[in-house]
Amino acid sequence: MVEKVISLQKKQRIAVAWGQDPNTIGAVHKAVGQGFAEALLVGDPDMIKHVCEIEGLDPSQFTIIASAGESDAAAEAVRMAVSGEADIVMKGLVNTDVFLKAVMDKEKGLMNPGATLAYVGAVQIPEYHKLLFLSDLAVIPFPDLDQLGAMAEYAIEMAGKFGIAIPKIALLSATEKVSAHFPVTSDYVEMKKNAARGSFGDCIMDGPLDLFLACDSESVRIKGVNTPVNGDADILLFPSLESANLFYKALMMFANGELAGILRGTRKPVVVMSRSESEKSKYYCIALSCLMAGD
Amino acid sequence: MVLKNLSDLKSVVAGGPMRKLVLAAAQDQHSLGAVLRAWNDNIVEPILVGDKESIQNICATSNYNIDGLRIIHEPDTEMAVQMSVKMVNAKQADVLMKGKVGTSTLLKCVLNKEWGLRTGNLLSHFALFEVETYHKVIAVTDVAMNIAPNLQEKISIINNSVSCLIKLGYTNPKVAVLGAVEMVNENMEATLDAALLSKMNQRDQIKHCIIDGPLAFDNAVSLESAQHKGIRSEVAGDTDLLLMPDIEVGNVLYKSLVFFAKAKVASVILGARVPIVLTSRSDSEQAKYDSILLSAAASN
Repeated sequence: MVEKVISLQKKQRIAVAWGQDPNTIGAVHKAVGQGFAEALLVGDPDMIKHVCEIEGLDPSQFTIIASAGESDAAAEAVRMAVSGEADIVMKGLVNTDVFLKAVMDKEKGLMNPGATLAYVGAVQIPEYHKLLFLSDLAVIPFPDLDQLGAMAEYAIEMAGKFGIAIPKIALLSATEKVSAHFPVTSDYVEMKKNAARGSFGDCIMDGPLDLFLACDSESVRIKGVNTPVNGDADILLFPSLESANLFYKALMMFANGELAGILRGTRKPVVVMSRSESEKSKYYCIALSCLMAGD
Repeated sequence: MVLKNLSDLKSVVAGGPMRKLVLAAAQDQHSLGAVLRAWNDNIVEPILVGDKESIQNICATSNYNIDGLRIIHEPDTEMAVQMSVKMVNAKQADVLMKGKVGTSTLLKCVLNKEWGLRTGNLLSHFALFEVETYHKVIAVTDVAMNIAPNLQEKISIINNSVSCLIKLGYTNPKVAVLGAVEMVNENMEATLDAALLSKMNQRDQIKHCIIDGPLAFDNAVSLESAQHKGIRSEVAGDTDLLLMPDIEVGNVLYKSLVFFAKAKVASVILGARVPIVLTSRSDSEQAKYDSILLSAAASN
């Protein structure tokens, strides 16, 4: 992914809201060093310089914009993206709720009118033969049909940036059967119909499928299920935030997975990561946002 | 004591009496293989109920020695299951195992009001995972039985699982109630239930364990993640049992651990009069064997 971004040879300007913790600054520094980002750190200049000093980084590589506090910094970073002074907004040490409020502000925010906000991620797992794109990892507790449609669109767009022309999309459930016990499965049927009618462009969509049928062709063979995804999914859409959240966390903790993700539904990519994420994950997220911001 | 890996189950059952295991509709290659291995290891004394000829054929082709084994001939699958359940009901067996029969057929018999195996408790699925990257086995419930348990059902599921862990040698197992976030959020019912379960545990309404939640998966299994977030919890990073909010979440966890993390798994149905081994077609013979060990250990 990082090579892909570097190969675009384009610098994206990232406005970082309250970007003054070592993890964030370190990740941004790496992206600047690789030549695909310019950093605009909105925060307390003294604090930013102090962190740079401790980490042994040169603060002059960043543009530092003084801000009085967390929520001011979030508003300023969003304003810069709206006005065109920045291409990407990233959350620093500011609380997620405060940050998202600024992003979603009806007048001054970054939302596309009427768009669904959703979190789309790309995960790399040693035991899988390619990248897997996932949604929704952070915003929608139980997606309805419209939200599932938006999630599919965003994930397809992201897969496209990685050169996947006809992505295979698995709509996940506990089994492959349409069942009244799982209301989401009837939405899946509608989704498939919409996909067949071309609502999502070129793609192969099937569901409900369980994780085995989505990702393991051997299971498809043993179970004898006829599915065009055939254990070779590029995109997994989840029935709930909880299942998606647990999936990527289990992969990161127990299967050496690496995740990069960003928010979609906004006019420009928004990088939101938990404050505790490592510098490496933050760096991957920045690279992904630069890839998504590129034309 | 906690289990470091699934083979530790052997030491839990070692030395105890051989458990009588009845295999319902026994004409199934993988199930037979696992049962006979447990028999050779002196863990269970099998009783095979099913189509005798077909059982003998499978054993002959696979070179399984079944000399001295009790086989009850019943060619009709449903009758074989009924007979097996009735044997357990009459205390002639300590563990029930599903052979070549659909899960729904078996459960219908188990839940029969006259001669079934009801105890008044909810039936729940309990799985033990061994993953290389965790410092001990981790139990997960419920990934296969209860679709969307309510608070009362979650309490029953915890109680079933905790008594099983205690039989495996645990004292005060640590239970993490899983959510997508660790904050209580009124829009996410799982987090509300988690808060209630934690408080009920503090007040001794749910006993013999330490419950904390909501915990996101990373905080439940990694102390470092929890500390980074400033979460104060006795359970975080050292979870023995993970309670799933619903079956969709549990199913994803189960399958991602098996497929992507190459986890070993043993599972059992709890809440009936005896433990029930109810593995699926796609489970390996090793998983079936480990599940027999687990059920034998849980049948004390």
